[in-house]
This record gives sequence, structure tokens and C-alpha cells, in this order.
Amino acid sequence: MRRARSASLRMTLMVASGIILMSLGAMGVQYRVTEASLNARQAELLRADLEAFAALYEQRRIVALRQAVEFRVASSSAAQGIYLLMDRDVKLAGNLDGWPDGLTREGADFTPKGAQIFDHNGVSYLGIARDLPGGFPFLVARARTDTLSTLADLRRLIGWVALGLVAVALLAGWGISRAVLGRIGRLNALADQVAGGDLSARLPSPRQQDEFAVLQDHVHNMLDRIEGLNRATHRLSDAIAHELRTPLNRIQHRLSALEGQDAQVEEIRGEIRSTVRIFDALLDISSAEAAKGQRPGLVPVNLSELAEEVFDLYEPLAEETGMLCSAEITPDLHVLGERSLLAQLLSNLLDNAIKYCGPGDAIAVLVTEQDGRFLLQVTDTGPGIPEELRAEMFDRFTRAERDRDRAGHGLGLALVQAIAARHGAKLILPETSKGFAIGISCPKLDPSA
Amino acid sequence: MTTPETPQILIVEDDQVAAEAMAEAVRDVGGQPILRASYDDGLEAARGSDFAVILFDRMLPGGDGVDAIAKVRAAGSTALVMVVSALGRAQNKIEGLEKGADDYLAKPFDPDELRARLRALLRRKNMVALDNDVVAFGDLEIRMKARTVHVGTTHVAISPKEFKLLRYFANNAGDLVTRMQLLENVWNLHFDPQTNVVDVHVGRLRRKLETAAGRPIIHTARGEGYVFDPVGEAE
Repeated sequence: MRRARSASLRMTLMVASGIILMSLGAMGVQYRVTEASLNARQAELLRADLEAFAALYEQRRIVALRQAVEFRVASSSAAQGIYLLMDRDVKLAGNLDGWPDGLTREGADFTPKGAQIFDHNGVSYLGIARDLPGGFPFLVARARTDTLSTLADLRRLIGWVALGLVAVALLAGWGISRAVLGRIGRLNALADQVAGGDLSARLPSPRQQDEFAVLQDHVHNMLDRIEGLNRATHRLSDAIAHELRTPLNRIQHRLSALEGQDAQVEEIRGEIRSTVRIFDALLDISSAEAAKGQRPGLVPVNLSELAEEVFDLYEPLAEETGMLCSAEITPDLHVLGERSLLAQLLSNLLDNAIKYCGPGDAIAVLVTEQDGRFLLQVTDTGPGIPEELRAEMFDRFTRAERDRDRAGHGLGLALVQAIAARHGAKLILPETSKGFAIGISCPKLDPSA
Repeated sequence: MTTPETPQILIVEDDQVAAEAMAEAVRDVGGQPILRASYDDGLEAARGSDFAVILFDRMLPGGDGVDAIAKVRAAGSTALVMVVSALGRAQNKIEGLEKGADDYLAKPFDPDELRARLRALLRRKNMVALDNDVVAFGDLEIRMKARTVHVGTTHVAISPKEFKLLRYFANNAGDLVTRMQLLENVWNLHFDPQTNVVDVHVGRLRRKLETAAGRPIIHTARGEGYVFDPVGEAE
């Protein structure tokens, strides 16, 4: 459930982040274009300045240049541009007191070629530094303040837009995944309910016909089919019980009409009884398996009391055959179960233990709390289960070769397993040095439920 | 309410062979069988007159006998209902008993078993509320409240389970009581265990009573069960 939720959210976020990346890319291109055009304008201004100075220098050299620089300095502020003309180390004109540190001079022309970007007093400038013939250092630079602040504004704007996009994408992702997951979640809940045993659970019909509605219809159709099959199976087992028991019943009645052959009649009755027991066990196994994990039909059962009663029923029989019986039962442990099935489970285990143990063997019943569950365990010191049968001991009709001459049909443990599963209990097979031990570990009954 | 000399017993069963066998068992216990073969006919008959016992099948043409129990009771019938059905697993039995059946017998059944159960029901039907504290059979005295047993003045020490067993025997004194009846009524277990676990319990109780009384109290009946006969009437 958790994993599914993150998967759908991840999808939405992937799509959203794709859109965000594309938008940011487009804005990045826009930014580059703007930056380039602003830089070009800056360069243009510098070139215009230089052209004006070049024209004057052509006419009267340094004198005219000096006047022009003085005029420029008077008509503009240092924040817009800096101008400096020097005679070696002496300032002739300009709005700087001395040559800026670290600024190298190159060439003697008045073209914007080799224009450099430099910082002076915390302001960024684009300009040229020349050494005019005769040893006159000359500097013309335009402040980039406007360009830079425009670009900074643009960057800030892009930042906010990106933030906004992420927020909207997250909101949209959350909303979409909630809407989608809500509907998938309802289907999942339905599946859980069905798996929990309620085959007749259905969802209300959807408001609009979309893919989810189609999926829901499919699930419903599937459930209808399963429910129908399940009902048919139940009817079939009831029918089998009826159809086989009725002729057996007639045989039984015809038997009682026979006289003078008591021993044989008794034997046939025994056979009928054991036949009935086989299909009872088979039907019990399938009905317990069908009801596996279902809550309906389970009621609070005092496991300790039940174990005590069944133990008391079997104890004299075991004792009379010379076995040592003991029970260690923690009182008043309650589980949710079917009393009759649990009694049958313990009865099967004790039957088995008594059947395979001989005089002198020990049989112990344990009911206790272990690891937050209730454990019902039967241990004996009998011959145990042959190694080669361990894998299939819970299969129907599994019997050891050595036990062919003993009564039984190999259904006892299969029924034990089905009953355990019906109660959501785990079967455990503790290691024993001798004999056989088997336990079922039942969920505790939640006293608040 | 008057109890007729011959108790009328309604049999609702669609299998003719089974119905005939049931009718025979009814005559054996001194009752008069009335046969019906479908759910509706059976229900109509059951509502119409007051039977001592009604034997109802489950998978009848027209319905399930277990569903009829409440309707029969609602019609004012005081009949005891025994469900006799091929749906004979422990769960089916418990379902039937929970829905109000007084007894539940699985098919195939032994005629002796049906007779024993019919007798037990008829006895229950005619029993005047027995709240006597002391039930005496000759010199054998059972004190219900104190849960003790005496033969003459000798106290017989028995376990609580053995007392329950003895009480059930005493309620059906003189009649055959089957192992299955004991398992259902004394241990409240409705399945057929592979081994005859009940025998050992009855054996212990029997030995204790016999030692104290110096004569057999519980007799083994051929095949199916036991007869509690402390004063030797049945001999």
C-alpha cells in the first residue's frame, strides 16, 4: 500500500519536473539572448565614445583629447563612465586621480578592440586602456551597472517563476495522485476485503465511465464468477455428502436385518463408520481451507479450558496403555476460533500421539504464551515421523510405509493444517531429540475487539 | 397438556428406505410414526398437531429441516426436534443445535443409535421437572447439589467429569446410552474421534461403582454403548 502510493506520486513528480525543466530551459535561453543584446548595446556606447575621441585626436592630438575628456567628465558622472588621460604618471584630465591598479594598457588605437571588463570601486566597467604615442596613458570605460541590474532582475524573476512552478507542480501532483490513488485505494480495499473472505463485497457504481470504472467492472465480473464457483463447490460437497451417505445409510439399515452373523455385521459397521470419517475429514479440510482467514464464524474461545478438556478426555486412555501424560496449561488464554475445530485439532494430535507411542513413552500438552502469540503444542517420545515423510506429512493421504497395518487414512495432519490455517495460526515443528513435536501458534484474541 | 398413551412421532424424510427404518425405530420405542416426504408437508403436519418428537431431514424437497424448527416452535408446538441428516459433520451438527434442534443424528446411523436417542428424547419430554436433590436407585444415592455419590453409607470418590457422566447415565437409567451420546452430552464434542476414548472413562466410573456396590451398575450393551441399571431391572 505504502509502496504503491509513492510509485504514483513519483510518476506525477517526474512529469511535473519534466515540465519545470523545460520551462526553465526556455527562460535560460531568453536570459542568454537578453544578456547578449545588453552587452552589444554596452559595446556600442563604448564605440560611440571612442569614435568621438578619435575624431578630435586626429585634429589636434593630446590637446584636443584633453579638452574632450574634461568636457565629458564635466557633463557625466563617474557612475556612468570613467575617463582618464595622463602624461606618463601625471594626470592631464579625467575623473580618476590615478591609473587603476592592475589595469594593463595595450595598443594605441581608438577602436573598441580588446575592450576589457574590470572592477573599480565596486563598480563593473567595460572599457579600453591604451598607451597613446608619446607616453600618454588613456582610459575610456562605461559602467555596466544598468546591464548588470537588468540581468539580476531577470535572474530573480526566473528564480521566483521556478519556485512557483515547483509549488504548483507539487500541489498538482499531490492532488492528482490523491484522486487517482483514492480510486485505486478503493479497489485495493475491495481486494483486501475479498481476500479476507467476504466474497460478496462490491464497490458502489462509479460516477463517470472511465478507465477506473472499466477496471472496477472487470474486478466485479471476476468476483461474481469466483463467488459463483465457490457456491457451486459448496453445493457440490453438500451433494457428495448427501449422495454418498444416503446409500451408506441404506446399507446400514439392511445390515440390521441380518441375524446370526454379529461379528461380520459389526465389522461392516466399523468399515462404514471409517468411510464416513474419511469424507467427513475431507469435507472438514476443504471447508476449513475455504474459510481460511475469515473472521465470520469465529468466536472467543478459552483455549486453555478447551485444551484441558480434550486432554482430560484422552489422558486415561494413554495412561491405561502405560504412557506418561502431562499437561502444562497456562489458564485463561483466549483466541478467536471455532471451538469444535480446535477440539478436533488437539484430538487429532493426541490420537496420533497415542496411536504411535508405546508403553513407557511420554506425551505432553503445552499451552502457553510465546512471542506475543498463544502456543498449543503436543510432544511425544514415540517413533517420530520418518525423515522422508517430513516434506509431505501435511498432504492428504500421506502415510508411512511402516504404518500400513495401523488404522488411519493419513488425513489427521492435513486436517490439523487446514484448521490451523482457518484460525490464522502458524504450524511449528520444534526439533526433538526423540519422537515428534508439533505446535500451532495462534494470534491472541485482542481483548478490546 | 395431556401426553397420549402412544407418543406420536413425525418423520419428515424423503428417502423411503431411511423413512421406513426410522418408522421401525419409532415403533420399537413405543411410538406411532407419521410419515411426510417433503419440507412443506412436514412443516404443515408439524404445525397442525402436537407431536412428542419430530424427526426432520435437512436436504428435503422444498427446504432444510433446520429452518423449519423456528417455524414449528412459533406455531406453538412443544415437540422435541431431532435432525437426522446426511449433513453430518461437526459443524453441521453445531449449526443445527444452535438453530434449536434438541438432537442431531448424522446419516448413516445405526438403528440402535436412533432408538437410544429417541428414548432419551421421549424421557426428556415426559420428565416432570426433576429438581430433587437426591436421586436414589436402591442403595445408590446421587446428591446433585453436593455432587457426591454414596452406596449405602459408603462415599464413592469420583471426579467432576465422572459425576457429569454418572448424571447423564442416571437421567437415562435403564436405557441404552451410546458413546456418541456421551461424547456430545458430557464432553460437548460433536465429532467422531478415531479411538473410543469414552470407554476408558466409563470403565473407570464403572469399576468405582462396582467396587462400592459389589454388583455391576453400568452394563456394556452389545456394540454401541452402555446401560445404567443399578437395581438390575433390565436383566
